[in-house]
Amino acid sequence: MKVAINRLNKMLSKNIILFSIVTVCFVTSMLFVQFNYSFYDRPIAKIIEINLKDSVQVVDMHNNRDELFTQHIIAQIKNGQEKGQQIHISNNYSTSGAYDHAFRVGNELFVSIDKQTKDSRDLTGSISNVKRDKYILMIMWVFIFVLLLIGKKQGFFSIVSLAVNALLLSFALDVYVNNSTISLLWICGITIILFTVTSLLLVNGFNEKAYAAIVATLLGTFISLLISYLVIWITAGNGLRYEEMNFLTRPYEMVFMAGLFVGSLGAVMDVAITMSSSIFGLYEKDNNISTKALTKSGLEIGKDIMGTMTNILFFAYISGSIPAIILYIKNHTSLSFALSMNLSLELARALAGGIGIVLAIPIGLYTSIFFVNRKRHKL
Amino acid sequence: MNVLVWLAAILFILMIVIGGKKGARSFVSLFLNFGVILLIILFMADPNANPIILTVIGCTVISCINLFFINKVNSKTKTAFLSTAITIVILLIFINQVTKITMIQGFGEEEIDELTIFSLYIGVDFVKIAASVIIMSTIGAITDVAISITSPMLEIFIQHPTITRRDLFKSGISIGKDILGSNTNTLFFAFFGGYMALLLWFKDLSYTIGEIVNSKIFGSEMITIFSAGIGIALIVPIASWINAYYLVRSREKSNK
Repeated sequence: MKVAINRLNKMLSKNIILFSIVTVCFVTSMLFVQFNYSFYDRPIAKIIEINLKDSVQVVDMHNNRDELFTQHIIAQIKNGQEKGQQIHISNNYSTSGAYDHAFRVGNELFVSIDKQTKDSRDLTGSISNVKRDKYILMIMWVFIFVLLLIGKKQGFFSIVSLAVNALLLSFALDVYVNNSTISLLWICGITIILFTVTSLLLVNGFNEKAYAAIVATLLGTFISLLISYLVIWITAGNGLRYEEMNFLTRPYEMVFMAGLFVGSLGAVMDVAITMSSSIFGLYEKDNNISTKALTKSGLEIGKDIMGTMTNILFFAYISGSIPAIILYIKNHTSLSFALSMNLSLELARALAGGIGIVLAIPIGLYTSIFFVNRKRHKL
Repeated sequence: MNVLVWLAAILFILMIVIGGKKGARSFVSLFLNFGVILLIILFMADPNANPIILTVIGCTVISCINLFFINKVNSKTKTAFLSTAITIVILLIFINQVTKITMIQGFGEEEIDELTIFSLYIGVDFVKIAASVIIMSTIGAITDVAISITSPMLEIFIQHPTITRRDLFKSGISIGKDILGSNTNTLFFAFFGGYMALLLWFKDLSYTIGEIVNSKIFGSEMITIFSAGIGIALIVPIASWINAYYLVRSREKSNK
């Protein structure tokens, strides 16, 4: 009983430390984004008054009706030399808001100040962007708290692995941008190995289950990449519209392949760890289970996850194109043109990812069985 | 032949070889879901339609396909469906507010160059569309978590028929915790793979951190990832509770 209480106290004190660290981070970061104006070079203005000047009904050449508004904004500059002064801005917006915004009192904006008015008391200027950092941070904290509250330790580890992976990716892209001689595919290949090793070891610890999953993930991703590469090579990329990437000054086919590589990795990892943990789970329950029985139940589990996993990738990729497709359709382009322009790359990603997922099932199954058998021989 | 046709054919063959009948059903479900998305897009293009309501209807149909069509109608999929519906509604209320205050709707300055030939004043509500895009991006993951919780919970219930509701709920939560990490990872990599070009663009033009964080595209990307994570986490207790409640109640009923 005493041991149990001691243990409970220990756990509680550990949690209190963690909890207070998180709270301190939360409070300081929230305070920071509230008052970080001086860290920006660009002038920031906070809206203090808005007058709606006029509104017009418009009909475009495709008979789409919309309403345009003009608002007169008075805002206060929050940083730089003009700090404290008022700025007058006029803003146009529409009800649809595809590329404009209806502002409200209290919104913060990045503005550019007209040069000739710099000396006068009343500044004028234009809006260059909306200040979103505060809200992004707030939503990030909601995410962190929900994950910690529900996932506890596992939630914490998944947040850490997300952060580590984001840093890794950013670092890898830096390496690529600064050394144009190294091929992006090589950099991605190495990064993918790092991604896989860190994510799987961080969540599962150093054990055979994780090793089997790492081997299966790497095999699965590389084989599926090879297949997609072959297909694109054979068809000479027929049907892929790279237009949506042509703002890049880089070989976009390579960038697309690299994105494909990284994009399917998470899903393949998920399948690999599911396969290896269930195979090892079966083995731990019954050390004498036959390889045949393991194969059979492994395949059953694989069939169960195949459909939902491919659907995860499918929706994650396709949904992002919805606004652009709507814009195309409303501008009376043909449906097939709208779809092929906006969906060809996304569909290719989803299908290639799906191939990776399906391949990871047998690969994960047999590598796990291989590791199980090795463990058996050792005993 | 077209790249997409090739890839689809390879995927189809692999799914049938490895998954048999269920693999074929999974492949068909991809097509059905594509059809549903297309229909939603066509309806959304009508300025009088409310994109939020369309999304709720669309998500219902999609979760029917993902749960009932792939896995058949049974108590596992029924409770998974109910918990998906509840989670979607909660998430939608949250995201609707978020897209309003962060103003991430429509197109960013990085995308607008290629769209200059189009008329942007088309009368549909891009703020609501942005909210539905975020929900739709995560619906696949949410149904996946739901079924991954309810189906092992049923196994536990069958193996321990006298388990209390509280213990059953707890086991659901502990299953959920395990899949939480890998599912957020899946989505994270998917989104960053998809936005590789954009990330390179930011690096090429040496955007400062301040510029990246405040840009519309990056902001909407981060909000999508965070909302997806919140959705995946939220459905864990919801699905565990509903399933525990349902299973224990059905036992009490049959005992009477």
